[in-house]
Amino acid sequence: MKKTTFFLVFAVLFAGCFILSHTASAANTIKVGIVDTFSGPASTYTLDVLDGFKLAIEKINAKGGVLGKKIEYTTRDEKFKPDIGAAMAKELVLKENVDILMGTINSGTALAVSEFARKEKIPFFVTYSKSEKIIGEKGHRYVFNMNENTEMAGRAAAVALAKKPFVKYWIAGDDYEYGHAIADAVWNNLKRLNPKVQQVGQSWWKVGEPDLTPYITQIMAAKPDFIIVATGGASMVNFQKAAKATGLSQKIPFYQHTGTELGTLLSQGKDAPEGVYGTSNFLFYFPDTPANKAFVDEFQKAYKRYPKASAIVGYMTGQFIAEGFKKAGKVDKEAFINALEGLKIDSPVGPLAIRACDHQLELPTYFGITKKDTKYPFLVSTENQIIAPKDYMPTCEEVLKHRKK
Amino acid sequence: MDFIYSFISPGFLSQILVGLSRTVILFIVASGLSLILGVLRIPNVFHGSLYMIGAFMSYTISVAFGGGDTGFWLALIGAPIGVALISLVIERGLFQYLYEREHLMLILFTFAISLVFGDLVKLVWGAEYKSVPVPQVFQGFVSLFGGLPFPKYNTFLLFMGPVVAFALWLLVTKTKMGKISQAAAVDREMVGAVGINVSWVFATVFVIGCLLAGLGGALVAPTVSVTLGMDHSLIMEGFLIVIIGGLGNIWGALLGALIFGLTQSLGILIWPQFGIVFPYCAVIVVLLIRPTGLLKSTW
Repeated sequence: MKKTTFFLVFAVLFAGCFILSHTASAANTIKVGIVDTFSGPASTYTLDVLDGFKLAIEKINAKGGVLGKKIEYTTRDEKFKPDIGAAMAKELVLKENVDILMGTINSGTALAVSEFARKEKIPFFVTYSKSEKIIGEKGHRYVFNMNENTEMAGRAAAVALAKKPFVKYWIAGDDYEYGHAIADAVWNNLKRLNPKVQQVGQSWWKVGEPDLTPYITQIMAAKPDFIIVATGGASMVNFQKAAKATGLSQKIPFYQHTGTELGTLLSQGKDAPEGVYGTSNFLFYFPDTPANKAFVDEFQKAYKRYPKASAIVGYMTGQFIAEGFKKAGKVDKEAFINALEGLKIDSPVGPLAIRACDHQLELPTYFGITKKDTKYPFLVSTENQIIAPKDYMPTCEEVLKHRKK
Repeated sequence: MDFIYSFISPGFLSQILVGLSRTVILFIVASGLSLILGVLRIPNVFHGSLYMIGAFMSYTISVAFGGGDTGFWLALIGAPIGVALISLVIERGLFQYLYEREHLMLILFTFAISLVFGDLVKLVWGAEYKSVPVPQVFQGFVSLFGGLPFPKYNTFLLFMGPVVAFALWLLVTKTKMGKISQAAAVDREMVGAVGINVSWVFATVFVIGCLLAGLGGALVAPTVSVTLGMDHSLIMEGFLIVIIGGLGNIWGALLGALIFGLTQSLGILIWPQFGIVFPYCAVIVVLLIRPTGLLKSTW
């Protein structure tokens, strides 16, 4: 008797779960599951991705959503751990029934989630990890890269640096995959574009190394013409502070990817070094177009701060999701992906398209130099040179040759 | 004469000075760790978190006073005191009940607190990077040996190191407090039996140790980006220094910090590509020769 009761209760509960989950999926929404690092130092970037995305979908939902459906989202914090991230993606798809996955700043997680997305045939938008493997070696039909990767950043920098008169280069950076990938990409492309350059030495420090002064004094003693600095995250600022304290920035010019970006310059206020070369994929004050201004105003109104580069990645992902479904005309994943290939939208930085061959967003890069500006309490990027996607993106053949047949 | 000059090249001397200024921060933080380890027998994993909180507090104080010189000096005093107050609450509220527990449990407990602090810092200060401006007097650099630059702020650090070391020496050897704590470390029950309130001695030592972590954070703040995660990179180095110096020995912490700071900066000079490995190699060498650390461990 007891057994039967137990069984009945269990059956009711089980059925209940089933019904609940069934109603969830049948609800009139398109669900996006966001797995990202929302704790620890990386959250300074990921929270902007999330806020940019929220801004875009709030606007779309206010206009009645897409195909009569509202876009909803759920977030999961993977705490910078790929295995946890992959498990969370699975949970989002199987329990929350999300239609689309999105994230993450951690390349390891992005690749793990991407592998799951490929098996489950779920569209996955990579928002802020920079590994070129995402659309290269490990690329597939269901993954889309919404920001630049290390190879793209390196090529863009090389295009600009190749025209400069520097010959003797020093390479320095954070001793982890991102640091080496950026350094290699800049250096290999620079050598290809300007065979005269020479490498006179390298320094690598551990990730999170607080005081970079000993590395800088040693580089200064070696007297190179130019330094390629491959740092990421908080180390961007640590290097700039040490460069200012030692006077490096006045003696030997150096380049940092995202060195001219708000994320790096904001916290330093007026104390950041001037004359730092950097590349960025978004500057809230450049180009000074009505579309960019409108986006920045909206973002400021909603969150009381200036958007960083990661904010626009989130925003554009929201735009692409809506436009993709609109073009597909139905909520069908395969049709959605077909619609996204080659789709062009009007983004805050001008019309941008997703390349059909490798699912990479074709976005411009701005190469500039840091300088004080009376309009802002922090340094900005000046003498900005727009490097168009066609001038620096690896070709379809170059990307696809990495993929296994 | 020429031979000596070529050996003492400008680059070499400059790296030594830079290494010494790094040593100062490492020593200040590690000595606090060592003090707590020696007297209370607690491997304090959240020491790094307190260092991070010290840096964040120094940001808040510096901003509250307009980000100028006054802000910096007040932060240098206020941040360690703030950290000391936090540690006092933790000691009185939690630790005083746990001294008799096993080491493994204490490690897990302090580790748990470090995780809690990590999230609390994010709640209070947010995820943005913070930056404390270098005060006017210490901005820029001085040119030394052959025109190589040495940041003025680092000369200030070189001054602070001996000051802190001297203050610690006075505290440990010349005050009644210091003597009681040394005795309590050796035989706690005996000290209690002669009528001394051991619990408060432990609290005081704990707070002083944590104050040093806060001071380290406040001193390092102007040279780095104040950010979540700065605790993790430091706590490992802190423990390594304490281990090679001899557990619980403050002078061991000084020696360990010197070895760590100098092998790092000179390693960079010799082989910049692999500069990271030199301090760790030094740790291995020391532990092979003297497994219990260079100086006498109090354990």
